[in-house]
Amino acid sequence: MALIPTIGIEVHVELKTKSKVFSPSLNAYGEIANSKTNVSDLGYPGTLPTLNKKVIDLAIKACFATNCHITPKIYFDRKNYFYPDLSKGYQITQAATPIGYDGYIEIEVNGKVKKIGIERLHIEEDTSKSIHEGDSTLLDFNRAGVPLIEIVTKPVIESAEEAVLYLEKLREVLLYAGVSDVKIEEGSMRCDANVSLRESDSDVLGVKTEIKNIGSISSVKAAINYEIDHQKQMLEKGEKITVQTKRYDEKREMTILMRTKESNTDYRYFPEPDIPYIYIDEYWINDIKEQMPIMPDKLRGKYKTLSISDVAINALIAHKELTFFLEKVMDKKVNPVISANLLTGDVLMFLNKHNITIDETKLAVDNFASLVNLIDTGEISSKMGRELLSDLITDGGNVEELLKTKGMKLISDEETIKKLIEEVISDNVEVVNDYKNGNERAFKYLIGQAMKKSRGQANPKILNESLLRELNK
Amino acid sequence: MTKYLDLSLIEINDLLKTKKIKPIDLVNEAFIRIEQNKDLNCFITLNKEEAVKKAMELENEEVDNVLFSIPIVIKDNIVTKDLRTTCASKMLDNFIPVYDATVIEKIKNKNMIIIGKTNMDEFAMGSSNQTSYYGPVLNPWNKSKVSGGSSGGSASAVSSRIVPFALGSDTGGSIRQPAAFTGVVGLKPTYGRVSRYGLVAFASSFDQIGPMTRNVFENALLLNAIVGHDEKDMTSSKKEVEDFTRLIGEDVHGMKIAIPNYYMSDTVNKEIKNRILYVIDLLKSKGVTFEYIDIDYIKYSVPLYQIIALAEASSNLARFDGVRYGYRTNNFNNLDELYKNTRAEGFGDEVKRNIMIGSYVLSGTNIKTYYDKALKMRKAISDSLDEILSKYDLIIGPTTTTTAYNLGEGQDDAVKSFLDDMLTIPANMAGLPSMSLPIGFDNDGMPIGMQIIGKKFDEALIYKLAAAVEKELNLDLDNKGGK
Repeated sequence: MALIPTIGIEVHVELKTKSKVFSPSLNAYGEIANSKTNVSDLGYPGTLPTLNKKVIDLAIKACFATNCHITPKIYFDRKNYFYPDLSKGYQITQAATPIGYDGYIEIEVNGKVKKIGIERLHIEEDTSKSIHEGDSTLLDFNRAGVPLIEIVTKPVIESAEEAVLYLEKLREVLLYAGVSDVKIEEGSMRCDANVSLRESDSDVLGVKTEIKNIGSISSVKAAINYEIDHQKQMLEKGEKITVQTKRYDEKREMTILMRTKESNTDYRYFPEPDIPYIYIDEYWINDIKEQMPIMPDKLRGKYKTLSISDVAINALIAHKELTFFLEKVMDKKVNPVISANLLTGDVLMFLNKHNITIDETKLAVDNFASLVNLIDTGEISSKMGRELLSDLITDGGNVEELLKTKGMKLISDEETIKKLIEEVISDNVEVVNDYKNGNERAFKYLIGQAMKKSRGQANPKILNESLLRELNK
Repeated sequence: MTKYLDLSLIEINDLLKTKKIKPIDLVNEAFIRIEQNKDLNCFITLNKEEAVKKAMELENEEVDNVLFSIPIVIKDNIVTKDLRTTCASKMLDNFIPVYDATVIEKIKNKNMIIIGKTNMDEFAMGSSNQTSYYGPVLNPWNKSKVSGGSSGGSASAVSSRIVPFALGSDTGGSIRQPAAFTGVVGLKPTYGRVSRYGLVAFASSFDQIGPMTRNVFENALLLNAIVGHDEKDMTSSKKEVEDFTRLIGEDVHGMKIAIPNYYMSDTVNKEIKNRILYVIDLLKSKGVTFEYIDIDYIKYSVPLYQIIALAEASSNLARFDGVRYGYRTNNFNNLDELYKNTRAEGFGDEVKRNIMIGSYVLSGTNIKTYYDKALKMRKAISDSLDEILSKYDLIIGPTTTTTAYNLGEGQDDAVKSFLDDMLTIPANMAGLPSMSLPIGFDNDGMPIGMQIIGKKFDEALIYKLAAAVEKELNLDLDNKGGK
């Protein structure tokens, strides 16, 4: 009997707010330990939580990004347990009324679209960070009270590959929605995976293992695959699987037991009496809806119909600032293919080299659009265009003036070009013969030679036409 | 020996304004009275050095309000910056807060002078002030009797006239019951009227800070000073600040008052009932009408309160774990032992009992059996009280079923503490404002309190009736303790 894996993914994402979810302390990463904390984060006697409304805004955005329904009346619950990183002895979370429910993320598996159902999306506060040093543990409360959303899938993922596709897609939409940095390495996105196996002819799910806090998307894949193999081997040997919580050891490439029997933990959830109900009405929802940027799947579809290449589309989607820039450029009605190629070519190379985003360069939408137009109409060659672009990125400035100072203007005079071509033809008799025998590449070679002779300044359109004409004489 | 602190607030204020006395005179007198009444055990921590310093500072300042430089004492579960706040627990015996509660900021803005932190039941859990780590508070009217609790220190301090003003807190009767036992005026405001920021939480959906004073007018003045919306407390109301003295002195003719049969049952001591009936007759002669009524589910108030309040308490007290502040056991080898021994050694029996009950009602399926149902019933009681109050101006009844009992009584007696709270808890269940007003004495000379419950945010009307009763009775409530 074949064993089918069933996987559910829980993701915690830190929201990108200025201050924490229940206190006015700053929400900042990488600051001096305990410098961004106050009496409330430390759980001092007498302190009370105050809700940061911005967190609700971002959670609503996350609901839109994950196609979740929004709960109109929400409240918070206390999850009670003892741990040194938990300053109040309870975590403020949402148990009974998650702000979002019943959503989905679409992934593409073997060319088919599969919807990964999302059970719930809720808001909670982060704990402080434990730093273990030798025998002692130090606590950094800068993270205590950082807003999180937890997104839980239904148990519908069937392979490690699907899990990875889901996580990549989730990361992408949350990034586009502007709710989080979603940086796994900085802990602003954290993944837990629940893995179980069931008989292929049965609907009854097997006993699950939860793998906590997996450090990267590639580790998610490795951890799930390891766990599936491990469980298969156990079942084949007739061993019983018990409910376990594990972690994934990246160095040893295996999952390691942390504790058994999760059901023994009794969190004694009850409604948080310090925070009144929050009513999310239509106005609030519509207000947020208007702020939602265009989502990556929509962009993909749009770019495809504009004949932008798949390679360029992928590069664009992976860099949301580039797509936002491209959207603005296209508002100027310029050639989208040229725009996309320049952005994902020279521009992206420059950005990667300097490790910055496009917003941090001097490249202005207007300049870029004029440049694309010049290339599109054939007034300058793409080589000239690239040279100009490099100047525009580093120094800014006006395209027309740059053209003048650089003395860049295409040779569009037909006589001059004709002369050029005649020279190239007489220099390359054999290649011309190849062309006449049907070798298409010979034509490109000849164009290249002519362009070289003009030092890149020949109008490519006219050059093309003239060469064809001369060769076919 | 001067007795400025026996004068009315208005008289003291005049003397200050006309420079006949200085703030330091009031402070010195308060500390002399503390010394004279040491045996009452009203205080956990005195603020003498700071109080004297503040009085000196105020000497050259303009007397800009009626509370200016008036000594006040604060229940020790309200945090005061740089002034030890213990909640009468070993757990916080060494705890010096780094911030002021919102009510403390407000009191300081009025330039009142904080004299000390008053004794109480540990974490406000108890109704006879016998659960304090620092020992019981005695009743100034009879030192073999309890002060009531949990705001026993505040009540006895005002009753013995050490100071004219105290702040207490009331979760299930902790202002009103000791006020009744010691013959002072104590008000639990509407839930949300006073910010809870800086009040060490017992049961968050019940707790309210309130004024405890010698008389009705001064009670309203102190309430004026501490109310208002606070951004640091999401449950604090946005209601406009009003003058709570504004109806005092108005004719009570035509007021319609409900007397719940629950409040006049055989459980209530006969002397107390008779005294209430006396007051009713008195008010009838002034044109007030009364009707006896039944309130749905009110008899379930105490058990329901115990489920909800203790559930909240079990969670609120989880933060006392020895990790960041307060008591930490020396006796541990691992994290589990740190928690267990810190809490076993730091908390007293009553607190532990309450945490256990609270944890129990939230555990596993119990939350459905107890907690969820209790919340529904709370709503039902609250709705029936609101309904009654839509037909009547106020509800009255006794504050307590007995007068102050002997020290040593009632400890570890669940039935006794049940009876202690049964008349005060309904107002907390519904978040209603409620006052205990002294209306006389029993045959042993112990004070009797009458409770007046109003509509939400209708404290002004409570003050109106209370002031009329106070004026008619004209009791001598000064027990001459230590003077």
